[in-house]
Amino acid sequence: MHRRDPRAKIAALLVFLVVLATARTGLLWLSAGFFLLLAAGLVWARLPVIAVLGRAAVVLPFTLVFVLVCWIGGDPGRGLSLAVKSYLSAVAVLLVISTTPLPALLRGLESAGVPSFLLLVVQFLYRYLFVIAEEAQHMGKAAAARGASARQWRAGSAAFRAAAGALAVLFARAYSRAEQIHCAMLSRGFEGRFRTLEPARFRRSDAVFAVLASAAPIALRIAAERAAS
Amino acid sequence: MHIPDGFLSTPVWVVLDAAAAPAAGLAARRAQRGFEQSQAPLLGVMGAFVFAAQMINFPIGAGTTGHLLGGALLAMTLGPASASVVMTAILAIQALVFQDGGVLALGANVVNMALAGVLAGYLPFSVWGATRWRRPSIFLGGALSVLVSAVLALSELLVSGVPMSGRLVRLSLVLFGISAILEGAITVAVMESLEKIQPKLVRQPWTGRSPVLGVIAIAAVLLASVGVLFASQAPDAIQQLTHQSGSEASGWLSKSLAGLGGIVLIYGACLVFARLAARFRSA
Repeated sequence: MHRRDPRAKIAALLVFLVVLATARTGLLWLSAGFFLLLAAGLVWARLPVIAVLGRAAVVLPFTLVFVLVCWIGGDPGRGLSLAVKSYLSAVAVLLVISTTPLPALLRGLESAGVPSFLLLVVQFLYRYLFVIAEEAQHMGKAAAARGASARQWRAGSAAFRAAAGALAVLFARAYSRAEQIHCAMLSRGFEGRFRTLEPARFRRSDAVFAVLASAAPIALRIAAERAAS
Repeated sequence: MHIPDGFLSTPVWVVLDAAAAPAAGLAARRAQRGFEQSQAPLLGVMGAFVFAAQMINFPIGAGTTGHLLGGALLAMTLGPASASVVMTAILAIQALVFQDGGVLALGANVVNMALAGVLAGYLPFSVWGATRWRRPSIFLGGALSVLVSAVLALSELLVSGVPMSGRLVRLSLVLFGISAILEGAITVAVMESLEKIQPKLVRQPWTGRSPVLGVIAIAAVLLASVGVLFASQAPDAIQQLTHQSGSEASGWLSKSLAGLGGIVLIYGACLVFARLAARFRSA
């Protein structure tokens, strides 16, 4: 699964998501079937099943609020469908993300027509996300060491402005860091896009995977709707 | 306010994906022309900044904290096109890597936050930023960006059939109002600090703009986002027209096409009108 072409995985993911999102009847059977399908995919990809299923549960807090809303509004079935659909979609996305390195995924998206400038920004964002986040944490620790604490009962405007100042400093630092990165990359011959060592090739095994992985959700949906009627 | 997959009905997410794609492409092209060549590293790092900035807690009293969302701040420093690209990249990373927001719903989230939110955040500043109403305009930008994004998201959920009573909607609007005020305050504070340490980072808005145009633009954005909430159920003139001409929309495909057709029609009309107005002005 890790070696399949990202374009095949993206196509299969989209088919799965669309089949799930447009499903209206037979949801109970469909979600059971999809859950088994995803679990099988996780096992085949040799990913830790429980960990991934737990990680996907991050969508649940937001969803449960709406489950409650639907229950109060008199439509509990919709609430359940919201929870199930969002959870299963999250697991599917996790499956693809965990088996595809981000640069390869972005290249797959680029061949699907997504503007390459946007994907370039995404790549830089991902690369520097943890760097800037760590810098923000350092600033937070430094401020705490000087006695600042965000959770105060009497929040004077001084504390507010201090936090704003910290943010402004982080902004300026990030901006100048970005300029340095830009200069460094230019001096290494960066022309605005990343080059790959081996071009992605769509092999027959990728086509087989794409067809099977797309057909499975469709078949499950037909079966579920037939079972429900 | 990131909408997960499975929440929106099919006509809604299809239309929003179809609307977001060309708009995001347009923003990407404009952003690319913006500064010097290949400023992708800058936008990427600023996106990382927004991520990190969302971790900084602002004390707002009673032991609670809030945090910056960032669309308006980005627009006032990088310009609206670049800000839209950065926000789109952030939404993509959040959806793919952190499962915060769905993949099919990415179009909806992009329209809400990266397009409408950024525009609403930038407009007040671009109109009044060079006048003595600069601080209120920054505050208004921050507040409107959050308000417009949240109201659009709420409308999309309502249209998709999530049953929310009037009271629940009003409660949500109050909560949105509070976070809007918070965002406005944080944006003002950060902009002022930024101007002290690095004034060249902040954009200088044009001074030749007529405030009337700005007010109309802001009113338009507000109407478009808030209007859905108050849209009446009775068939209006357009619906009666389609009913009479026999091309009544039924089924989600025709509804989506109708929605998309409406957007294209209005966009085309605005484009023609703008060209005529420009020609009239220069003549």
